[in-house]
Amino acid sequence: MPTPQHLREIVTGDYPHGDRPIAVAITNLAKTYPVPFLRLKKLLRRKFKPPVEAVRNVSFNVHEGEIFGLIGPNGAGKTTLTKIIATLVQPTSGVVTVRGHDSVHDDEIVRRNVGLAGAEERSFYFRLTAEQNLLFFARLYGLSGSTARQRIDELRALFELEELRARRYAELSTGNKQRLSVARAMLANPPVLLLDEPTRSLDPLAAARMRATIKSLAQSSGRRATVFLTSHNLAEVEELCDRVAVISKGEIRALDTPAKLRARHTEEEQVSIGFALLTIADAEHALSRSFSRDLFVLQAGERADESVVKFKRAANDDLLNNVLRVLQESGAVIRGVESARPTLLDVLESYEQLNENTAISDRSIEI
Amino acid sequence: MANSTILFLRRVWAFVARDWRLELSYRMQFFLRILSILIVVTTLFFISKIFAGFTDPRFEQWRDPLAAWLTGLAVLNYFMTGFSSLANAIRQEQVQGTLESVLMTPISVPTVIVASSAWDFVQATFFSFLYLFFGWLFFGVHYRGSFLLALLFLLLTTMVLSCLGILSASFAMVFKRGDPFGIFLGTGSALFSGVFFPTQLISQYAGTGVASISRILPATYGLDGIRRVLIVGQGFSQVREPLLTLLVFLAVLLPFSLWVFGRAVRRAKREGSLIQY
Repeated sequence: MPTPQHLREIVTGDYPHGDRPIAVAITNLAKTYPVPFLRLKKLLRRKFKPPVEAVRNVSFNVHEGEIFGLIGPNGAGKTTLTKIIATLVQPTSGVVTVRGHDSVHDDEIVRRNVGLAGAEERSFYFRLTAEQNLLFFARLYGLSGSTARQRIDELRALFELEELRARRYAELSTGNKQRLSVARAMLANPPVLLLDEPTRSLDPLAAARMRATIKSLAQSSGRRATVFLTSHNLAEVEELCDRVAVISKGEIRALDTPAKLRARHTEEEQVSIGFALLTIADAEHALSRSFSRDLFVLQAGERADESVVKFKRAANDDLLNNVLRVLQESGAVIRGVESARPTLLDVLESYEQLNENTAISDRSIEI
Repeated sequence: MANSTILFLRRVWAFVARDWRLELSYRMQFFLRILSILIVVTTLFFISKIFAGFTDPRFEQWRDPLAAWLTGLAVLNYFMTGFSSLANAIRQEQVQGTLESVLMTPISVPTVIVASSAWDFVQATFFSFLYLFFGWLFFGVHYRGSFLLALLFLLLTTMVLSCLGILSASFAMVFKRGDPFGIFLGTGSALFSGVFFPTQLISQYAGTGVASISRILPATYGLDGIRRVLIVGQGFSQVREPLLTLLVFLAVLLPFSLWVFGRAVRRAKREGSLIQY
């Protein structure tokens, strides 16, 4: 469980390729959505909602060729942060640079370097075909007719959109619309890709292929793409990302490699050992001679001749070895060992829990 | 320079091709519009017969009322496109949800302005031509004078009205609905710029105060110039005054409207309201 100390601490994480050039640099970024026509509303004494503070004091760098994940609950500030990098939203303060170009002052150059695949379905022309849509956006990216068609052919093959070229966008399934959105982001082969839930509506096989594609983009031997990924699929983030940032209420709560985030979340793991040729009573007797009785839970296994002992252990301690030794010396045959490590979901939940606790204690102070 | 021009034209072409394809998906509407123009021209032909033999020397441009109406309608169609097309395009992109995707590409604000309206101008050119063409083909309306000079007036007035259109689009970008430019210029131009009747009649019946409205509308000068050239047959030296007035309008409005539009885009980005409508 993270402590309040973690809330104040932004860990930059040890990116294994930290010597690579910085692709996206975010410094002291804040975004508060203003109340439209505030002065007028005040003058007319109309009620208005307070300004929304979507992003607060965010700073981190993303390196070239890195797959960087951003996770957080709904309304945490993920989309705002992505849109600021994409120049679609202007920050209230702070600076975002993409390959050294400022997102506010050099917005056109930044857009040349960035491809965005958003989660918004209504971002294409419904009455045009998939191909016509891609052709339109390819031209806006400045591709000539022949280059655009060649690139569209490549992307059609990559995203398996072959059969969809003549079908209107409105007729496509949600999954295909999603793939088309990623294809559009890659039209001009930008060095930085912003992917908002890229596998959201895909079937498991298509999602696996999409993940493989994303991975290959960052690992290709030529120009490595930098991928900035936001997702609610934490297993996907864990599988793909070199580093992950946890954002909550507009602030980065933690930033590190998935493994280190898990380790920081809790130092314990739940271990289950399946064994045979030893009864539960005998196992309990043998284990309680060496360890405290409260440490274990013994129960029947899934198979008739199998039992299971479950216990928690601190990472890298000797408990697992010792339990295995005691069981084997008592005549048990070990059938299997499983350990359940905390997932990014546990990490996210713990930060949310901490948020709630902090809010409750703040309210108590106010009272 | 050559590269940026090619890039600009490529982008304008992308918008034109997109809108052409979207138009093709609504074929029926296209043919119905042609039919409606033919019906309007025919109706005006019969109304014009009521005024046969009308020879008041004050209204030289109106001796053939059908010719005056047809040039008025053709030009008004073009002018309306000038000041409404960009606001409509922005509004449509907002409603469709595609505005963010377009603004996500490395496209500059002036390119968005020109490219978004390009197809509307292609269409307006075609439909405006139809008014004049049907008049000539079916009802014997003849035009004289320099077509090139008339074209210059058309181009200049459209550019001035496009500046007002940019202001209108800025309004749509920030306030989403309730564009005052569209309301005042749309109805105002039809009423006060002499599309259906001579502007001199306004001062005669409504006083000089009301008549001054027509003097602040750029469409009045554009329409007056085009009719003087096409119907009365006047040359460059005789139409210099309305031409200069239009140039002054353009010199003031063009930089101002571009500045306002840039501010409107920035404001929408600050409020995060680009896709709201």
